[in-house]
Amino acid sequence: MNKKKDKGFESPRPFKLTHQVVCINNINFQRKSVIGYVELTIFPTVVNLNRIKLNSKQCRIYRVRVNDLEAPFIYNDPTLEVCHNESKQRNLNYFSSAYTAAVSAVDPDAGNGELVIKVPSELWKQGDDLKVLKVYIEFSLDQPKGGLHFVVPDVEGSMAERGAHVFSFGYQNSTRFWFPCVDSYSELCTWKLEFTVDASMVAVSCGDLVETIYTHDMRKKTFHYVLPIPTAAPNISLAVGPFEILVDPYMHEVTHFCLPQLLPLLKHSMSYLHEIFEFYEEILTCRYPYSCFKTVFVDEAYVQVSSYASMSIFSTNLLHSPMIIDQTPQTRRCLAQALAQQFFGCFISRMSWADEWVLKGISGYIYGLYLKKTFGVNEYRHWIKEELDQIVEYELKMGGVLLHPTFSGGKEKDNPTPHLHFSIKHPHTLSWEYFKMFQCKAHLVMRLIENRISMEFMLQVFNKLLSLASTASSQKYQSHMWSQMLLSTHAFLKSISNVSGKDIGPLIKQWMCRDQSGVVKFFGSFAFNRKRNVLELEIRQDYTSSGTQKYVGPIKVTVQELDGSFNHTLQIEENSLKHDIPCHSKSRRNKKKKIPLMNGEEVDMDLSAMDADSPLLWIRIDPDMSILRKVEFEQADFMWQYQLRYERDVVAQEEAITALEKFPTPASRLALTDILEQEQCFYKVRMQACFCLAKIANSMMSTWQGPPAMKSLFTRMFCCKSCPNIVRTNNFINFQSYFLQKTMPVAMALLRDVQNLCPKDVLNFILDLIKYNDNRKNKFSDNYYRADLIEALTNSLTPAISINNEVRTVDNLNPDVRLILEEITRFLNMEKLLPSFRNTITVSCLRAIRQLQKNGHIPSDPSLFKAYAEYGHFVDVRVSALEALVDYTRVERSSADLQWLLDMVQSDPVHYVRHEILGMLCKNPPFTKSADSGLCNEALVDQLWKLMNSGGTAHDWRLRCDAVNLYYTLFGLTRPSCLPLPELGLVLNLKEKKAVLNPTIKPELGVSVVMDTPASIGIHGVGISYAAVDEEPDPVSLGVCGVGQPPQGLKRKAETPLGSPPEPGQILQHQEDDGRAGRYKIRFNTMEEEDIDMETVHDSQAFIHHQLNLLERPSTPGKEPPLVEQSLLSTPATLPPLFSKETPLLSSKHSSKEKDRDRDRDRDRDNSYAYSNSPASGRSLRSPSLSD
Amino acid sequence: MGDSSAASGTSLNSSGRGAKAASSPAENYQLARRRTLQVVVSALLTESGFESAEKAAVETLTEMMQSYITEIGRCAKTYCEHTARSVPTLSDTVVTLIEMGFNVDTLPVYAKRSQRMVITAPPVTNAPVTPKSLSAGQKRTHPSHIPGHFPEFPDPHTYIKTPTFREPVSDYQVVREKAATQRRDVERALTRFMAKTGETQSLFKDDISAFPLIAARPSTIPYLSALLPSELELQTLEETDSSEQDDQTDSENAAGNVIADDPSADKENSVLPPGGVVPSTKASEDNVIDNPYLRPVKKPKVRRKK
Repeated sequence: MNKKKDKGFESPRPFKLTHQVVCINNINFQRKSVIGYVELTIFPTVVNLNRIKLNSKQCRIYRVRVNDLEAPFIYNDPTLEVCHNESKQRNLNYFSSAYTAAVSAVDPDAGNGELVIKVPSELWKQGDDLKVLKVYIEFSLDQPKGGLHFVVPDVEGSMAERGAHVFSFGYQNSTRFWFPCVDSYSELCTWKLEFTVDASMVAVSCGDLVETIYTHDMRKKTFHYVLPIPTAAPNISLAVGPFEILVDPYMHEVTHFCLPQLLPLLKHSMSYLHEIFEFYEEILTCRYPYSCFKTVFVDEAYVQVSSYASMSIFSTNLLHSPMIIDQTPQTRRCLAQALAQQFFGCFISRMSWADEWVLKGISGYIYGLYLKKTFGVNEYRHWIKEELDQIVEYELKMGGVLLHPTFSGGKEKDNPTPHLHFSIKHPHTLSWEYFKMFQCKAHLVMRLIENRISMEFMLQVFNKLLSLASTASSQKYQSHMWSQMLLSTHAFLKSISNVSGKDIGPLIKQWMCRDQSGVVKFFGSFAFNRKRNVLELEIRQDYTSSGTQKYVGPIKVTVQELDGSFNHTLQIEENSLKHDIPCHSKSRRNKKKKIPLMNGEEVDMDLSAMDADSPLLWIRIDPDMSILRKVEFEQADFMWQYQLRYERDVVAQEEAITALEKFPTPASRLALTDILEQEQCFYKVRMQACFCLAKIANSMMSTWQGPPAMKSLFTRMFCCKSCPNIVRTNNFINFQSYFLQKTMPVAMALLRDVQNLCPKDVLNFILDLIKYNDNRKNKFSDNYYRADLIEALTNSLTPAISINNEVRTVDNLNPDVRLILEEITRFLNMEKLLPSFRNTITVSCLRAIRQLQKNGHIPSDPSLFKAYAEYGHFVDVRVSALEALVDYTRVERSSADLQWLLDMVQSDPVHYVRHEILGMLCKNPPFTKSADSGLCNEALVDQLWKLMNSGGTAHDWRLRCDAVNLYYTLFGLTRPSCLPLPELGLVLNLKEKKAVLNPTIKPELGVSVVMDTPASIGIHGVGISYAAVDEEPDPVSLGVCGVGQPPQGLKRKAETPLGSPPEPGQILQHQEDDGRAGRYKIRFNTMEEEDIDMETVHDSQAFIHHQLNLLERPSTPGKEPPLVEQSLLSTPATLPPLFSKETPLLSSKHSSKEKDRDRDRDRDRDNSYAYSNSPASGRSLRSPSLSD
Repeated sequence: MGDSSAASGTSLNSSGRGAKAASSPAENYQLARRRTLQVVVSALLTESGFESAEKAAVETLTEMMQSYITEIGRCAKTYCEHTARSVPTLSDTVVTLIEMGFNVDTLPVYAKRSQRMVITAPPVTNAPVTPKSLSAGQKRTHPSHIPGHFPEFPDPHTYIKTPTFREPVSDYQVVREKAATQRRDVERALTRFMAKTGETQSLFKDDISAFPLIAARPSTIPYLSALLPSELELQTLEETDSSEQDDQTDSENAAGNVIADDPSADKENSVLPPGGVVPSTKASEDNVIDNPYLRPVKKPKVRRKK
């Protein structure tokens, strides 16, 4: 391994931050504004530090002083508007690359920033002695659109009485939205935080509250916080509001905050937090790293859970009273997640984005351990299966999820994920769904590592990482120990090999390499060879379709035979499909003998269903889910039935249930019914069995005997003995029964008779359940149960018989539907008078009404949903109303309603709702790229383009990516087909000196998007390199392709003295459009030829566009074009020396060359600065102070 | 006297109306009395030497006279009731007259004066028939140990209990049916009423009143109503808290199931946990908890003031 890497982290910045003061003097709730200042204490790491780049978005900066001297600065945020000038491009490829470039241009992990401060020349000398600099910045925020969220209810009274509050939020590193900082997870420093707020408010922030002091007029107070543990800026947060304070009765260092009137709920919801604390501290054998912990529950939260150093911000909707069943486990899960992230994510931070998976993986993994302990092994395995199914489904649909974006195994390609329409090189360009799957995969891979090295070692590794970090955290800055608190993939893997002595290289390679990202798809089938008494198992793989990969290695197969259960480990190799597994038992079953199961239990089975010749009961492939896979296994129906009845693993039972859907036989019915009745069986399996039974019943419609499926079962379990048509008064003390009681009617309503209608007696049965529902004697609320009964009514709906499309009126309402509608009306109206918890009933009713509309029973009309979607309703209600509206938009192709939704995306005060709308539009799009639709018009393209390009999404990364997703769903990667043809049909290809058809006209472009960041380049062998990162001069400034100059002219040989493995060799930058959105590309010498081809089309296209734009643009004075031109022309001449560093393999020479390198680096930096006028890094060149 | 006071009281009320149409026998009776009084007043006037008098004057005097007599009657009745009797005696009247400043001694002389006119008795009119209260059943006679002057027993229906022997409906099905119907009716009536009185939304264009939905109204703080349990629910909770449901919990838990933790956690809030040192000492410890958020806010330092 590379020695240089062992040295730990090297900052991409020419200075190191040691301490930061954030002081917010004034928070005005009326005007939604904030005024304050920050002071950063930095140590220059180079002589002559003359530029300081910081992150800051949307802040208005009043003054900047460095060591009390006024310092000039420029402030430029290229992400505000991604593509400039009304470009006619409109294709997503173009946007994505421009967006990636914009994000990289201010990426703190590459040493960039929006705010560039020029260090006054007086201090340059000081820089020689590497003295401390203090950067003082005064700023204000006015009606922030991101970063801070103000919730100010519009009622009478003071702000405190109104419950007004403000809190910070963001997706990944978003602290720059509310104060200037180095917004990187890898730049740690200590903090002093001061917040002056109204006397009736509380300011909760990170670290220890040292003191609270009144201001002189006694109307305000100042909260002073100190955070002595080095923490990255993105882990700093703030919440201010008239919170009610609850000190945890079990742990006095833990304080909970909630909005007024919710204290009783808070008390209940937090009553088990101490158990989670104890659990984590015990398994990690490590104290909670911070001296205190705070939980704050806020309204209109961005996400349910967000963790920051020593505090977590939750959605207030997680609070619940003791009467609520369903919310309880969910809230506990959220708390456990938050706490897991306190250890890994907040206390231990990451080195770069590529290492995010380690943190997400570890926190997800220990959260899983908590689940296992609290909710039981069944719940845990069920959860793992759920997560696995999710990732499998996503990867098969969208292609692989790459955990380590710069982790390259063998051959290099510039874009590791050509199947995606966004770049994965930055967290801020990821689609939300992808990010969720990323987290999911991370913890699954972590579990695979556990499988390989055992849990004991795993926990030892975590403990080691934590103790290293806590030792480092108590050190002074000068000891350079802080980087121990940053976790990297490399350090993690090394720690694993040190602790366990095992090589997990193959495993990592399998699941994290870019070539192999994806899941394994197995198809299994078998035959029993009676003569040899051998099971001939055939396992095939599909590794050609997208999102799949080939698996080579061991796989576990469990065979349940008459004489017991046997595990076999097979070796999956390139060409071997068939595996012979010798059987242990003869196919005799004359003797009545108990059959031993895997867990040692011995059971009696009725073996009459079996094949008389075979001793095989059932077979399972990879029962422990130790591969990220999808298995499609063929075995006979009776085998599935045995598996369902007798296999004790819930995953196997669930698989069996899924498989049995294909075998609608009385035997399957019996097996499912038995499972349903079996109280020892895991309740989620029983719930799943309900739905399977409904499906089977529908397939067996003609031969079905007896009452409708589940009806007699339900009657037996939940109805009165004396009068079977009346349900017992509710008593939900047994939760298994409760969940079953909730689910069965929902599943029953899916039954259909020969006319494809819901059977009359099922409907009446459900109506009776509603009628006789009596919760007076129940300790728990029945709101979820009633909501499910409404869902059952919804499920029972079938399309109306429409006679020549007449308008739906009350008179021609089907009598059954009339009954349903009456119930729904009554429920919905009662909810206004006696609202249920989280308004679950309204949510169900809205869904039901939409279903009634969709099936043509009542006139389709969006106005009701619009009323419920308005701001001011409970968020669940809004989302469900919006869901109905999205569906309405699709079905009715209503452009007015689509417009209404898009307007809401732009203007709604709640970020979560905006995100949800776009998410739902993507899931249920009004039209797609493949289908023509009247909705698809130029205005819509413009609007969406504007939405993602600038508009409403510039202050919310997540929302912008949602908009990109929607654009992709609607129009695909290329130019939307509804747009008129671009001006030029032919493009001159300058490289190959020929003309080609303008690629934008082609229906689908075969060329992948080129997206790359400067920071992520080389990988050597299996290890991961950081070395390349910091020494890479800002590529933006490296090669700038002049007008009319073919790109080849810029190629340069890398200094690779020993012919090292693939090294970043050439860096090219192409000018696109008017050159603002620079696209650059990092080349590797082995790949040159191919790359050029890939670029050709884009380059020429961009070049033509650029020229066109130059012509088209009126020459307004003061606009940038001339400057850009200048910089374009001037750059090639002054290219900085490239790649002065030695390759990692030459690390022996490392120390001797250190000085040279430093000098070179400095020069690079200076040079790079000089060209930061270049398009990708900025556009506002108006500040005269910057002209060098 | 008592009788007259009561009667005149009513006559006062009805005098205005009585002139127009005297229909009921009671009113006739009162008019007759009034007429007698008028005759008396006229006689007294004649006695005093008046030859004629205006009608209004006579009326006024009659009114005064009536008032006076009424007052005597009322006072006398009060005196008699004061001494726990029901019929006024002579002495009551005398005391009354004295109380009203009338020299009783002059009365016999006045009564025997020579020039007094004798007025014929008023024409016989039927005394108003007090409608008899409906008597139900046979009134009980006094038992031997109760003196006869004691009031009679009231009507039997006022004190006799009549046990009804209809079996209460205990058939489970009927009870449930009834409860369900009742609740549904109440809910429907209530929601209909709310819908009628407030804004509504409708699912049908043609018939707005068919399935009226109470209009969705945004609230300023939507999470409060959505999260806080309604009073009804709280009430149920209190009622069931001590009920037998808790007893079941332990046995169910013993079955060992996945979310078995939930009920136990819930119990922790209502019941003290087994090793409950922490919550039991919670109250006393509250004072000692050193949490920075509970510390008093400091006053600004003086030196800062400039």
